[in-house]
Amino acid sequence: MGRFIVIGERIHCISPVIKKAMEEKDPEPILKRAKEQLDAGATYLDVNIGPAEKTGVELMKWAVQLLQENFDNVPLCLDTANRKAIEAGISVYNRSKGKPIVNSADAGDRIENIDLAAANDAIAIALCAKAGIPSDNDERMMYCQEMLERGMSLGMEAEDLWFDPLFLVIKGMQDKQMDVLEFIKQLSDMGFNSTGGLSNVSNMTPKHIRPILDSTTVAMAMYNGLTSAIANPCDARLMETIKSADIIKGNSLYADSFLEL
Amino acid sequence: MAFKRVPQKFTASVNEVTIGTGDKAIVLGGENVMPLYSFDAPITNRVKIGVEITDSGYDKTVPGIAAFYAGAETIGEIAKRASEMPGGDFVVLTLEGADPNGANKPIDECVAIAKEVADAIDVPLAIQGCKNIEKDAEMFNKLAEALQGKNILLISARTEDYKQIAAGAVMAYGQKISAESAVDINLAKQLNVLISQMGVAADSYVMNVGSAAAGYGFEYVASTLDRVRGAALSQNDAMLQMPIVTPVADDAWAVKESVVSEEDFPEWGPRENRGVQMEVSTAAACLAGGSNAVILRHPASVKTISELIADLT
Repeated sequence: MGRFIVIGERIHCISPVIKKAMEEKDPEPILKRAKEQLDAGATYLDVNIGPAEKTGVELMKWAVQLLQENFDNVPLCLDTANRKAIEAGISVYNRSKGKPIVNSADAGDRIENIDLAAANDAIAIALCAKAGIPSDNDERMMYCQEMLERGMSLGMEAEDLWFDPLFLVIKGMQDKQMDVLEFIKQLSDMGFNSTGGLSNVSNMTPKHIRPILDSTTVAMAMYNGLTSAIANPCDARLMETIKSADIIKGNSLYADSFLEL
Repeated sequence: MAFKRVPQKFTASVNEVTIGTGDKAIVLGGENVMPLYSFDAPITNRVKIGVEITDSGYDKTVPGIAAFYAGAETIGEIAKRASEMPGGDFVVLTLEGADPNGANKPIDECVAIAKEVADAIDVPLAIQGCKNIEKDAEMFNKLAEALQGKNILLISARTEDYKQIAAGAVMAYGQKISAESAVDINLAKQLNVLISQMGVAADSYVMNVGSAAAGYGFEYVASTLDRVRGAALSQNDAMLQMPIVTPVADDAWAVKESVVSEEDFPEWGPRENRGVQMEVSTAAACLAGGSNAVILRHPASVKTISELIADLT
């Protein structure tokens, strides 16, 4: 098994600094966040430009080129509801360090993002949901199969569909947590890759609690076979947990300095 | 259904490290397939063989070795002869006489010997120390300075002395070093991490992950080699992607099979044949495990292993 893949989530237009930088095409704040995340151990960087209905095409091209030129063709996860913007981003994307990831498809309105990924030899994050939160794992698995069939029929390799179980907030949906973990196990047993927005679990909890809940969740999810997460790599506790879990799973060979790698 | 062969090549590859200069320089590593799996993807840099001599010359008690070097008197002449051994790619000078518990030759004398060797040959040079930590650390830095520009390989840096050797030999004088660990995969990785954290570039060091003569705990060596190459290729572990250089001769010629006389063990046959067999079987096993170069002594071993390599790549 390969090492766990962290998709750094911090280039996100919900952040006022990043939103402003994207509006003004100001490279500095974006490059700063990218560097922080890569130094902290991110493999992929998520680039969330929001809905960006009018400016998306141009903005995504600009962001992809900016990040790849400055960080040795860092692999990117293109995150927007604007499909044309994702296509535009892929058109200027250099794949020498990894395929682009389309973030994201689901079994509902966004299923065509699987077509987009298939047409562009990209990876698709495939959210196992249709409208709202699935009621149980049978429903999640049904959506998973729908997306799998669609991808395969379009010539995708199963390994390029990274299924997202949809991490749920603990504060409010505490009783669903074990279901999500069990679903990750099911995905893993079938040999599928998986990912998801990890920090959902700790939403609305006190700031000092979040790293603890995120780390514990990722350790339990990795035990069940989670292969990737969209997460904050600048959270030291989280990264230590992921690196340790990679050692225990044998994904990475132990050396005394493993936390520094 | 017809068998469909899927080449097992990896996106990760072993680092390339160049030893020597000019036309005769050699490149170790570079492959992105399992050891000798040239059917999965081309292996650009075939495995190399180092021919070992020592500061006192060669082993005159082994007839085949003595015959090969016959007439060569000075260390320079011996080195020149070694550089011409059919199948060999580089010369390895082992400064065993530097050992404080042995001949304890002064460092200046060892440096003079190394210079004479380097001047006599046009193939790349690797130098093995005497295994005494203090002496080697000081001697390697003097050797690195005296042979600046020759791009030599110094064997080896260990956890106890890697700092001095990496800072001096590599960073000050631009030579290459080998990171040595004793059949301990975690330590092998850790030593590579520590050397890399000093700022030594990935193309400036190789590793010796330990060895043993076949039959003398070699199964531990085999599993270490397997795991090192597995992690380097399938897990893309950058801290285990250094080429592996394995000194084989030292172990192979020191075990009972290669040492006891025919008079004492008549049923075992001539000592020389046994030594060559130990050297050949150990070297072949190392190559199968992923060594990018082996160090040998006997012309018959060098010939056999070079033919094996040629046939398999």
